Amino acid sequence: MELLKENWIFAEVDLNKVNPITYQLITKMNQISNLPVTVVLIESTSENLEDEIKEYGPDKIIIIKNDQLAQGNDLEMTNALDTLIEKTGRPNSFVFAATVVGRSLAPRLQARLRTGLTADCLDLHFEDDNTLIQTKPSYGDNIMCEIVVPNHRPQMATVRSNVFEAKKLNNPMLKVINITNLKVISDRQLTISSKTLPQENAESINDAKRIVAVGRGDKTEENLTNAKRLADKLHAVIGVTRPLTDLEEFNINDQIGQSGQSVSPDILINLGISGAVQYTAGISNAKTIVSANTDKDAPIFEYSDYYFVGNAEEFSKALEKVLQ
Amino acid sequence: MDQKTISQEILLRMVKSFVKNEVAPYDMEIDHTRSYVNDLLAKVRQNDFLSLMLPKEYGGAGFDGRTTAKVINEIAKGNASLAVTLEGHFKSIDQIVKYGNDELKNEYLPQAKNRIVAFSMTEPSGGSNPMGINSHAEKHGDKWIINGDKIMITNGGLAEIYCVLVKTAPTELSIFVVDNEMEGFEYGKQENFLGLTGVPVGEIVMNNIEVDDSHLLGKVGMGKEIGDSAHDDARVLMGAVLTGIMEHELDLVTDYATHRKAIDTPIIQMQGIQRKVADIAISKETTKLLYQKAAWMKDHGQDYEEEAAMAKAYGSRSAVKAGDDSLQILGGYGYSLDYPIEHLIRDARAMEIAEGTVEKMRTAIALKEAESRA
Amino acid sequence: MKIVVGIKQVPETTNVKINEKTKNIDRRGINGVINQYDRHALEAAFEIKAKTNAEVIVMTMGPDDFVVSLQEALALGADSAVLLSDRAFAGADTLATGYVLSKAIQKINDVDLVILGQQSVDADTGQMGPIVAEFLDISQVTYASKIDIADGALHIKRYLETVEQDITAKLPLLLTVTDQANDPKYVNVVEITKSFEKPVITWHATDLNLDDDRVGQAGSPSIVRSISSPKAVAKDNHKLADNPQDAADELVKILKEKNILMEDK
Repeated sequence: MELLKENWIFAEVDLNKVNPITYQLITKMNQISNLPVTVVLIESTSENLEDEIKEYGPDKIIIIKNDQLAQGNDLEMTNALDTLIEKTGRPNSFVFAATVVGRSLAPRLQARLRTGLTADCLDLHFEDDNTLIQTKPSYGDNIMCEIVVPNHRPQMATVRSNVFEAKKLNNPMLKVINITNLKVISDRQLTISSKTLPQENAESINDAKRIVAVGRGDKTEENLTNAKRLADKLHAVIGVTRPLTDLEEFNINDQIGQSGQSVSPDILINLGISGAVQYTAGISNAKTIVSANTDKDAPIFEYSDYYFVGNAEEFSKALEKVLQ
Repeated sequence: MDQKTISQEILLRMVKSFVKNEVAPYDMEIDHTRSYVNDLLAKVRQNDFLSLMLPKEYGGAGFDGRTTAKVINEIAKGNASLAVTLEGHFKSIDQIVKYGNDELKNEYLPQAKNRIVAFSMTEPSGGSNPMGINSHAEKHGDKWIINGDKIMITNGGLAEIYCVLVKTAPTELSIFVVDNEMEGFEYGKQENFLGLTGVPVGEIVMNNIEVDDSHLLGKVGMGKEIGDSAHDDARVLMGAVLTGIMEHELDLVTDYATHRKAIDTPIIQMQGIQRKVADIAISKETTKLLYQKAAWMKDHGQDYEEEAAMAKAYGSRSAVKAGDDSLQILGGYGYSLDYPIEHLIRDARAMEIAEGTVEKMRTAIALKEAESRA
Repeated sequence: MKIVVGIKQVPETTNVKINEKTKNIDRRGINGVINQYDRHALEAAFEIKAKTNAEVIVMTMGPDDFVVSLQEALALGADSAVLLSDRAFAGADTLATGYVLSKAIQKINDVDLVILGQQSVDADTGQMGPIVAEFLDISQVTYASKIDIADGALHIKRYLETVEQDITAKLPLLLTVTDQANDPKYVNVVEITKSFEKPVITWHATDLNLDDDRVGQAGSPSIVRSISSPKAVAKDNHKLADNPQDAADELVKILKEKNILMEDK
């Protein structure tokens, strides 16, 4: 097995856009790696996404420009990466985004290379001999596992979005390598047609990534209007507590809590919600929780990452202004 | 693992998930609207819940008494009304299985898969005193003509098949099976009860309903015995309902007390709260043991009358108390109509009366104790 | 047409803790259930079965008590079940598990379609589908959100981060499905009893013509070095400034630093 003293990152491209996780991975790898950091980019012949990737300072970019590969067939990409690795030797590690693309392609390549892969990592670091220590959650984030792949290379991982920061960096040593003669073995079983999704507006609170929730403290028309304006600014969806479902415009589908919906947004902003058990039962999967309430002992604060003691409406207005 | 254990585990997995998704989220709405919203009864039928303990030879799943009670317990955790509606159906099926002749069983038991069966004893003139009833059946040739008025029937109005207690002679009680498609059968008024508001409780009126001998449950004069048997079955399952109610309360109070703070300390750390939570837990567990013992005795052909009475008497009294303690722990939220505690108290309160009052249970228990030492 | 659905039995709750003494995950008193995504995989198979009269074979690898989940799948509508159970399989990571599954699917012969859930809720890896597809040397479509069959081909909708794909796939194929793909049914109470008339087969390592180096711990490149409870389970409870405007400024600054609010949205 020929080894290559490099750590690789697969650049995730969603149609013609580089997914920001790619930049986050470059910054992280640059921080932890003693070996050169290489980005592998598959793009169509009309794209030059390397220009954006460069700004984050990898040591090397390997570009495979190929219109067929850019369509995103897992098998074809596995074939291409396998062929590439046969030429270059096996890198020390190869990390992917824990997105649909990364979580589909990486395990297929893992099986092709018969190595170890850790899915959905929250942290990565190297030990002295370039062993990659991969920290992944399991049991729905209730348990953390540290996983290593001692005897196989590359050490593969997929990494969750937004756990690392991306920082621009100028790397004067950057090398760009264009692979032009890669033979693509095509997959005749699948025909894929892709299109960019329109920005969703009528999202349901179950799937919403951002939610502004209002409680009985916010029952007046004006308060609701304020909350809605904040939600608009944030591209968030409005959720309500049980008492507000009495209003005509809301029903059980908008209600968060035990007798309503369980939500799992990236961010939940609670305005004037006290935090009764029936409500908090529905928010345990929200990632970041912000709450504003006049009652300094409101139970909701305990569930919150950030809280504001005071008038929820004033807080909402102030927030709206900052977000201008 | 044997077939029975595997079957029970699959069933309970399904029930838990059904309750979590289809029942519990609608608990408050069922209470407020006094009806089974979310097409709940259609879903119950579709998944063959009504055939749970119906013997296999009649197209049922044939689960035993303990499994049936556990299912009722799980459902009651999500909504006590639905659990009681099923309890009413199962105890009635049990009597047809136990006392019905082959013709009656072949006619009605396969239908019990989709049509709810009810058991009716009470009349305006008598409830716990069956001899006080006025309904009667008279023999005309090889037919019986039934007349009378039965009230406060669990599932009355919803059920389509009824086991009715009537007099076949001035001091002779018998039970017949009638259905809503018979000439002379009419639904009467619905009750407006305080708790278990999802359960329809209503009246049926019988005007010269004509049935043949096969519709007689057991033999002439067995009305009291069959009625007692139905009570015993119902009381075991009510123990399961009450256990479910207390489990629901425990979920609510422990979550609240863990998160609610008084001067930076979660109130679960305070002795006054701990005492209440512990008492609810002890009551729940005691009721569970009582109903499971009674169900086990039933499955093993033993006399379970006393244990059934204990499960219901102890369970109902302590569930009302547990509800009161829960309300106190949750304070204002407990007292709010927007939160479930108050309706759990109303639900539990019904079971201090239905299927024999707590007082009647105590009489039965005391007499059994004396009898066993005589 | 033959469909194999791979399922996994997982704890009914993912709310597990680490036992202080054994340093292992404490699963006492937690019952097993079919992994929720696998219920969607089964339902996808049943929907195809309803249109094509396909034969649905459900398969799992694990200890003998996983038979409960196989039996449940039979009660839901599968035609037969295969349990892959052997001490030799213990300690397998995804690669070694995928190898055994693929060998078992090959043994069944002429399988047109393999369906799995998108991931298990306990290990959360989502690796099994692509690994099995690779070892079977067939094409894969992962994270299918809508599945239809017409003219012998599958028509699939799949969502990436910001991209929607329409895929037409010829058989043979491996498919993994999301929870958007369908609405799994509940087990019918009466069908539980009837399901015992259907066959459940157990295959051991010796039944599968396996390469010993590729199963169990020996065939697993990954090693779990340690497990721990997540450090910051409790929320930060960070109190923002008293003045609403300062509080809003403070919050937005923090959220941006943490990539929770990104400029581009």
